[in-house]
Amino acid sequence: MTGRLAAVTGRLAAATALAPRPGLDSSAAEWHDAEPDLTNPPSDAAPASSPRISIALHDVTKVYPNGRNALSDVDLTVPEGDFVFLVGPSGAGKSTLIKLLVRDELATHGEVYIAGFEVTSLRGRDIPRLRRQIGIVFQDFKLLPRKTVRENVAFALEVTGTPRKRIAATVERALALVGLTEQAAQRPSQLSGGEKQRTAIARAMVHDPRVIIADEPTGNLDPLISWEIIQLLLRINDMGTTVLMATHNAEVVTALRKRVVALEDGHVVRDEVGGYHRDY
Amino acid sequence: MIGFLAFSIRRAFQGLWRNRVMSLAAMVTMVLMLLMLAGLVIVLSGMEAGLSYVESKVEIRAELYDGADPSRVATLEAQVAALPEVASVTFISKDQALADLRAQEAAAGQPDLSTVVGSNPLPDQLAIKLKDPKDFGSVKATLLAPDGVVARIPDQATNVDQLISITALLRTVGLIIVVLVGMTVLLIVVNTIRMALMSRADEIEIMRLVGASDSFVRWPFIFEGLLVGLFGALLTLGLLSLASGPISQLANAIAGQVPVGFGQQLTSEIAAVVFGAGLGLGGIGAWISVRAYLRN
Repeated sequence: MTGRLAAVTGRLAAATALAPRPGLDSSAAEWHDAEPDLTNPPSDAAPASSPRISIALHDVTKVYPNGRNALSDVDLTVPEGDFVFLVGPSGAGKSTLIKLLVRDELATHGEVYIAGFEVTSLRGRDIPRLRRQIGIVFQDFKLLPRKTVRENVAFALEVTGTPRKRIAATVERALALVGLTEQAAQRPSQLSGGEKQRTAIARAMVHDPRVIIADEPTGNLDPLISWEIIQLLLRINDMGTTVLMATHNAEVVTALRKRVVALEDGHVVRDEVGGYHRDY
Repeated sequence: MIGFLAFSIRRAFQGLWRNRVMSLAAMVTMVLMLLMLAGLVIVLSGMEAGLSYVESKVEIRAELYDGADPSRVATLEAQVAALPEVASVTFISKDQALADLRAQEAAAGQPDLSTVVGSNPLPDQLAIKLKDPKDFGSVKATLLAPDGVVARIPDQATNVDQLISITALLRTVGLIIVVLVGMTVLLIVVNTIRMALMSRADEIEIMRLVGASDSFVRWPFIFEGLLVGLFGALLTLGLLSLASGPISQLANAIAGQVPVGFGQQLTSEIAAVVFGAGLGLGGIGAWISVRAYLRN
């Protein structure tokens, strides 16, 4: 336990040193401008000796305007290419932590780094650049019912100003990745829950993000389908994308023996690799 | 850029269609307001035309004493002509004045009463045209300064004053009404775009999550507001062009010889006002709505 803590502290120091400030970070912009390539992540993503930091929270506290203290003094470091489960009872602060990472909320105190951005000092107009480096997947899918699978995925490219001729090829690659090429012309109402979530994952992947954040992605799915989604996220992780997944699914967490970060009452109460996951 | 414009305009049309009842209501109120505005412009320009016509006709008639010394009259004439406020001075002999009166009465279809009198009752006169009718007072003082030349100056300025004050009143009242109606239209546009925003709340949420910049969120709705204004303006101008014939006739019947109607200049002026007000209210209303929505 002490060793683990030391490792985390060490990583945190590395994060502060390595995470480039938004103004200086040209790599993120270049990466976005480059042709999205879903099958070959950049080779510099995870050098073996000193892994780059994907997510780092330093001394983060979040107090909502109503006085509720959602997170207290949270320290967390996730190296690039990691797969991390975020567990904890409802109200423990999982959603708040995710909102801080995608800059939906601002930390009251502390520093938040993700995908090369220092989120806490990010200017409003730079938020879109941050979000394009993060793929977000939700429990309720958030698909547009009037659009087909293909259009739902293309929408993420269309609204970020991607040239039309690049959209079609990128969308087909993303659909192939999640195995939905056959269902591309269907609307969400014609899809199963698992297919809906795979559509959402395809949409999250079209910007070739450095991090995938999944908030209870299997919360609405039965166990068998849940495994399909987990397998897909593992495959994406194997390709070099960092995955942070908030979940209540004890079975999955236990079986996979990945890093588990447990939150309770806004504090990190456990951070270790492995099985045990209390029934929240 | 072209992709962005195409995206925004396509979504603006989609939004108008999805939200068509409210969009139509906004357009109809917009048309009513623009018609009032155009009406005000037409009436005011008619009044202005009438005013400048009447003003151009205003002249001071200074009636001279019978048997006033012709050399003193000539001196006064030269003196008045030298005043900067004066456009022209003409001496009208009593015979000329009588002839003028007879011609005027004949034109108006009145019987010639001058024959009844037997002798010419009219005095010699100086007819003075002013550059600006407001300078009446100072010129009058100059005319009355030498003794025994000018007998009296009939006051003719009151008609002009009345016309000026009616025009000013009409302009003020008309503007107040148009501003009130304009604010109503603005609120309706704000509300229309707010409904459009709400009906797309899910899309906006997703757009922001996947990293769409604010302009991609904002401009489709501003274009939607501009389209309401554009269609409102086009509809208004269509209605006006259908009605322009009867309006011109009516104006001519009322004003008689005063030149009122749809001249080239008035037409382009109205088109500019209608388009400007329509697009302005549509764009500003949408902008207010989007700004309020995105702040939440």
